[in-house]
Amino acid sequence: MVSKKHISITVNGEAKETEVEPRMLLAHFLREVVGLTGTHIGCDTTNCGACTVIMDGKAVKSCTILAVQANGKKVMTIEGLSKGREKLHPVQQSFVDKHGLQCGYCTSGMILTSYWLLKNRKNVTDEEIRAAISGNLCRCTGYDNIVESIKDASKKMEEEGDPIEEHPEIKVRA
Amino acid sequence: MELSEKLVRGEGRFVDDIQMPGMLYLGFARSQYARAKILKISGAQLTHKEVNFEVVEVGEGATTGGPAALSHPVLANGHVGYVGQPVAAVYSDDRYVAEDLIDSVEIEYEPMKAIVDPEDSLKREVMYPGVKSNAIVDRYFGKEFTPDPSDIVIERKIINRRIATNPIEPRGIVAAYDGHKLTVWVSTQSAHSIKGGLSEALKMEPDRIRVVQVDTGGAFGLKGGLFPEYVVACYLAMKERRPVKWIETRREHLLASRPGRGVVANLKLYAKKDGTITGLKGEVIVDNGAFTGGSGEFSPMFIARQLAGAYYLPNAYVRAVSVLTNKAPQGPYRGAGRPEAMYFIERLMDGLADKLKMDPVALRLINAAKETYTSPLGMQVEKSRQFLESAIKELNYEKYRDRENVGFAFLILYHATAGGESARIKVENGRLKVWTGGNAHGQRHDIFIKTLLKEELGVPEDIVDVLKGDTDQLEDGVGAWGSRSSMVLSSAVIVAAGKIKEQIGKKHGKYTLKALLEGKWDEYEFFKYDKTESSLGANLVTVDMDSYGRVIVKECLSYYDIGRILDLDNAKGQNAGGAVQGIGQTLSEELAFDEDGLPLITSISDAGVLSADLVPKFGIKFHKSESPLPSKAKGIGEAPTIGVPIALSRAIEKATGKLIVETPIRPEYLLPEEKA
Repeated sequence: MVSKKHISITVNGEAKETEVEPRMLLAHFLREVVGLTGTHIGCDTTNCGACTVIMDGKAVKSCTILAVQANGKKVMTIEGLSKGREKLHPVQQSFVDKHGLQCGYCTSGMILTSYWLLKNRKNVTDEEIRAAISGNLCRCTGYDNIVESIKDASKKMEEEGDPIEEHPEIKVRA
Repeated sequence: MELSEKLVRGEGRFVDDIQMPGMLYLGFARSQYARAKILKISGAQLTHKEVNFEVVEVGEGATTGGPAALSHPVLANGHVGYVGQPVAAVYSDDRYVAEDLIDSVEIEYEPMKAIVDPEDSLKREVMYPGVKSNAIVDRYFGKEFTPDPSDIVIERKIINRRIATNPIEPRGIVAAYDGHKLTVWVSTQSAHSIKGGLSEALKMEPDRIRVVQVDTGGAFGLKGGLFPEYVVACYLAMKERRPVKWIETRREHLLASRPGRGVVANLKLYAKKDGTITGLKGEVIVDNGAFTGGSGEFSPMFIARQLAGAYYLPNAYVRAVSVLTNKAPQGPYRGAGRPEAMYFIERLMDGLADKLKMDPVALRLINAAKETYTSPLGMQVEKSRQFLESAIKELNYEKYRDRENVGFAFLILYHATAGGESARIKVENGRLKVWTGGNAHGQRHDIFIKTLLKEELGVPEDIVDVLKGDTDQLEDGVGAWGSRSSMVLSSAVIVAAGKIKEQIGKKHGKYTLKALLEGKWDEYEFFKYDKTESSLGANLVTVDMDSYGRVIVKECLSYYDIGRILDLDNAKGQNAGGAVQGIGQTLSEELAFDEDGLPLITSISDAGVLSADLVPKFGIKFHKSESPLPSKAKGIGEAPTIGVPIALSRAIEKATGKLIVETPIRPEYLLPEEKA
């Protein structure tokens, strides 16, 4: 067995230091080492996007990133979106209000991709939304209510702003 | 916290989220051959020698009493019948080590020539010694008839190829044993089906098994079933007295779950020159796979019986066959026989319209059932003409009639209402807890159950907890599939609420919310229902073709009779979700195999699951003819997977001039011909 590697990853603003096998996936690190099970695994092949997290400002699929690759980086999971606040993040609230989820399994990844999109684009069109979430598969909703949720979230973020200050590295909206 | 709020916070509890001290991770060494004898296994921790159980059929389309030689052993018994079949099991307290152990299992095989094509199966040697025929079901429905020699005949071979169900959450189970009782947490459509199946497979008394449904990340028919991996997980938990977890990988899902569709039809439709249909003859052949344990014994009969569609069909004689092939057992997939049957009859109707140079919708109108009748194939067909007239109007067909890119579908959806469903309402400390026999796996039962309880008992939504299936909390139950929940489950909730109301009335003179919340009440209702209800629907689809022969779905509109609407957002979501699956079936979704039975699909994207950029915004209008059930609702879940492939196939046929008789329509078939 290959010797373990020491890593330090900032997860939702908190430094997590530990020894991991070099082959450990970031998704498993988040779920099983840190204990944040909101990051879901759907396909193991970077196709479905259920495992999407924000790493150093980019939406990435944590099932095909090794934990050691995330060493020294900042990762935000779905739990980070409303961490420390009773109120849901505007993107989460829009998914609830507009019925943007059915079984809820793809939802964490879908919301984080949406968050990344909305941090980078104002006044998103349906077409931009559909292109942005094309790496996140949903088998239940047929996407219509997800698109509506993201449009609603765009409005909410315009009005209320983004309560998260943790990620200055995410491009500020133009 | 409300369920949707939990889920958007990432605080759902799916089966892989469960961690327990001392938990073992289970893995399977699977067959690399479609058909082979096993000569030797080494390096395995569990094989058939020790774990010699068989899979029991449960869920939608389950039958019992099939030929014993065809039962699916949980671990291969001397031979393998499909790539991905579990041969041996390994385990470790580290999930990565369990993966490594799979690779250390060595299996020696003697490969045999695989049987891949279902029609070829009927001509080949029998798959197993001692089996008389590769047809495990071979029955006739209707009555032989002599067609009028002057009748027009439309003859087609029509194919719906296999599709993986592909819920985004794969299958999974956690099992634990305390020396007496086995407790199982599982991603499922039916806790009671899993309990019954495990009890039979493991030969354990039912009261020693508790099955709890955790949050279930999509199912689409698949997760009503009991799988070999679940039985092995339970066995191991009892053997080691440690909790055991098995989580399917997507690759395992594509190889070894229970794919749907996989049906070939050879049919002749007879009609008079004025378009009146006079009879139907032919056969439907289901690609069963190598073992029973799925729904392949049920589906050919279910398909054959529905072949009258929503029309008046005076004569019919249809053979229903299910054949052995070297593939995983066929299982129910959203619609489970309904989409196949309607696709077959509707493709024939479009063919007849073309032959007679008639408008296809006008032809449908001539043949729509004027009165409710029982077709010669056995299903009750509800009167459909009036509905079709309103569908033509509501979908604005006149506007589209002359376009060269439009397709129309007319369908009947048979709901799986037979068997009824259970519900329990418990009131304690001012809150209501509700358990039901069928549970959501993406349909948000919690929303409509709260709506119904508000109506029946006047309780605000925020004091109602809708809990998932738990066999220790609910003595019996069926499961969630075939649009049954909106009909029989909702009715069970209404009746159970009525019982509580009645008790309070007796005790306090009249029902009051105060009396409800200050008291302790606990009512269980098994709402019995024997009839198969049905509802009508129609779809209209338009397409554009690009210069590479790619299909762009422009408009996809639905008009469905769903009776009373229990939850509008949910109904719209069911329509859009089903419509994407219908487009997927038509354009991209296929579990393809090569001639040796080796799967050609390795990822969820290869399998054709569509992303948001490839589908349109969907439109739906509702027809609201109330059902006779207490909830007055009808179903919707399967309607789009029935109607959309029909309308889309026709739209493509019109746009390309190419006859469409297969789903998916492979891209190479639609490549424009090169101009000389």
